[in-house]
Amino acid sequence: MLTNSKLRSWLTIIGIIIGIGAVIAIMAISEGAQVSLEASLGGLGADIMTITPGYSTASTRGGMRRLLESTSLDDEDQENLTKKDITVLKSIGNIKYVVGRVTESADIDYDGKSITRTVTGVETEDWHNIVIDELSQGRYLQKGDVNSVVIGDKLANEIFDGIELNRFIEIEGKQFKVIGILTEGSDIYMPIDRARDILEDVGDEEFDSINVQVSDPTMSEETMEEIIDRLMMLRGILKEDERDFTVTSMQDVQASINEMMETMTLFLSAIAAISLLVGAVGISNTMFTSVLEKTNEIGIMKAIGAKNKDIMRIFLFNSGMIGFVGGIGGVIVGSLAAMLIGGSSSGTASRGVTGSLLNSGAIITWELIVGAFLFSIIIGMIAGAIPAYRASRLKPVDALRYE
Amino acid sequence: MQQILNLDNVWKVYDMNRAGYLVVLKEIDIAVMQGEFIAITGPSGSGKSTMMNIVGALDIPSWGRVNLKGRDVSDMSESELAELRSKSIGFIFQKFNLIPTLTALQNVMLPMEFIDAPEREAKERAQKLLDMLGLGDRSHHKPGELSGGQQQRVAIARSLSNDPEIILADEPTGNLDSKTGSFVLEFLQKLNKEGKTIILITHDLELIKYATRIIHILDGKVEKDTGSKNIQRSFVKGGLKNEK
Repeated sequence: MLTNSKLRSWLTIIGIIIGIGAVIAIMAISEGAQVSLEASLGGLGADIMTITPGYSTASTRGGMRRLLESTSLDDEDQENLTKKDITVLKSIGNIKYVVGRVTESADIDYDGKSITRTVTGVETEDWHNIVIDELSQGRYLQKGDVNSVVIGDKLANEIFDGIELNRFIEIEGKQFKVIGILTEGSDIYMPIDRARDILEDVGDEEFDSINVQVSDPTMSEETMEEIIDRLMMLRGILKEDERDFTVTSMQDVQASINEMMETMTLFLSAIAAISLLVGAVGISNTMFTSVLEKTNEIGIMKAIGAKNKDIMRIFLFNSGMIGFVGGIGGVIVGSLAAMLIGGSSSGTASRGVTGSLLNSGAIITWELIVGAFLFSIIIGMIAGAIPAYRASRLKPVDALRYE
Repeated sequence: MQQILNLDNVWKVYDMNRAGYLVVLKEIDIAVMQGEFIAITGPSGSGKSTMMNIVGALDIPSWGRVNLKGRDVSDMSESELAELRSKSIGFIFQKFNLIPTLTALQNVMLPMEFIDAPEREAKERAQKLLDMLGLGDRSHHKPGELSGGQQQRVAIARSLSNDPEIILADEPTGNLDSKTGSFVLEFLQKLNKEGKTIILITHDLELIKYATRIIHILDGKVEKDTGSKNIQRSFVKGGLKNEK
């Protein structure tokens, strides 16, 4: 019935393709980003907590907020973490390993190329127990290492043109031997004492953060409470809101990021839904026009025996077909867009949170494809319902007379 | 002969709001027997088309009773009317009224689809009807690819799809040349001889020679009802004189 108005139908279908395509692309990219985040955060382990200087009022959701706020805090106003804190933490029963860290930017030189990168000094004794990143080559830092570094694969092979194991890189003018390359990331780890020697603004007895690993992850909440109590006691702080440190579990960080991702997905999906709504209005419009154009044919069909439900079925089928074809197109376009956006930004330099999330690759699940496809058909049928009803209610005698 | 259709004091009145009421049909009393070939004639605006709509169960009267095959049409729901039309009445229109996007075969199959006839049977019967009307080789052509005469033959085939008792032909030769027009009328006559009741609506008095009964409508009323073939000739003479 729509062959006479092919162009109009295709224009309507394009509206649905855009709507469904946008939904698919957003959902697929969001899913990819979420899985990627979970993978990278999950790699840090649910049994690991981080103690940082400064206090964020949020406790359970404090992780992300703390991470976001940390850059804006004035370092000089903060009471840094010290060896006393490490000692206290080590005395807590459920804590297995404690690793102090210092972090500072440093100039890195290799093979004539020079960049500025964050360097992390770690206590080598237990670091290899707490670090989750796997090695692709070499070994982790261990007690006794001095001018040695472990670097991430991205730094070795993307930022620099292939730093090989046992080669020397220059950090703040000093030579360091690469003894291990991690499977991913662009971090640089070195023994904490050496980091204190070469890095500026790093105090001798202070730490920028402390990682602890608990023995029993099911007791994480209780352990966190105990850490807070013990560190408050050590610092002579009585009130919770006066404390000068924050304890963050990776679960909190993960939950916060997930929440943020979900909000972002919801927001973007709402925008996509608007375009889908516009597409649905387009279907309605096309179907109303079609009913008008086909009024005489409706009359003929009614004269030769079509019941109201037959006419209704024909028009619902037509609008459903627009949704069906739009759904197929939308799934294809959305999937391509998701893959294009998800893949195109890889390999570029630092691009911020959004770029990183987009870069994490789209995940197009069968559930998403089938769901979007069915949704498209349903939208088509709903949008066509009123025109179809009106068509079915036309009186045969009036419809036949219509020119 | 058995009565197949009965119109008892049928009125059709349209409410024209401020312009008052428009009476299109009044006091129509007609009994149609099975196997009759009736020509309903009358000048433009006499109410012929309204009469056809009511006889064809496309419309219901404002007052009065229409009884088709023993059932009162006036009380039927839209769905019941549709079923009655599909099974008991075959329509042939002046403008053929075929669905342009469907092939000849699909057009003929359409009424059978509305009564949920099995597709294979419907296809076979449609092809048979098209063969009968000499269009066997044009069954996959769309109306736009057929001549006016061929389209009207497709329309005749369609009207016979569900083997209805009544064929209602509204100016069936209006858009045809005289040769094709004669073929259509002769075919209707043949169907009538096979037992079908034919109701022909026309303003062309040349066509009434095919009918066995002539009903002349004027200003919404039955002005003359010949009732039999014998009276037809005098009607033709008288009718022509009267109209002139």
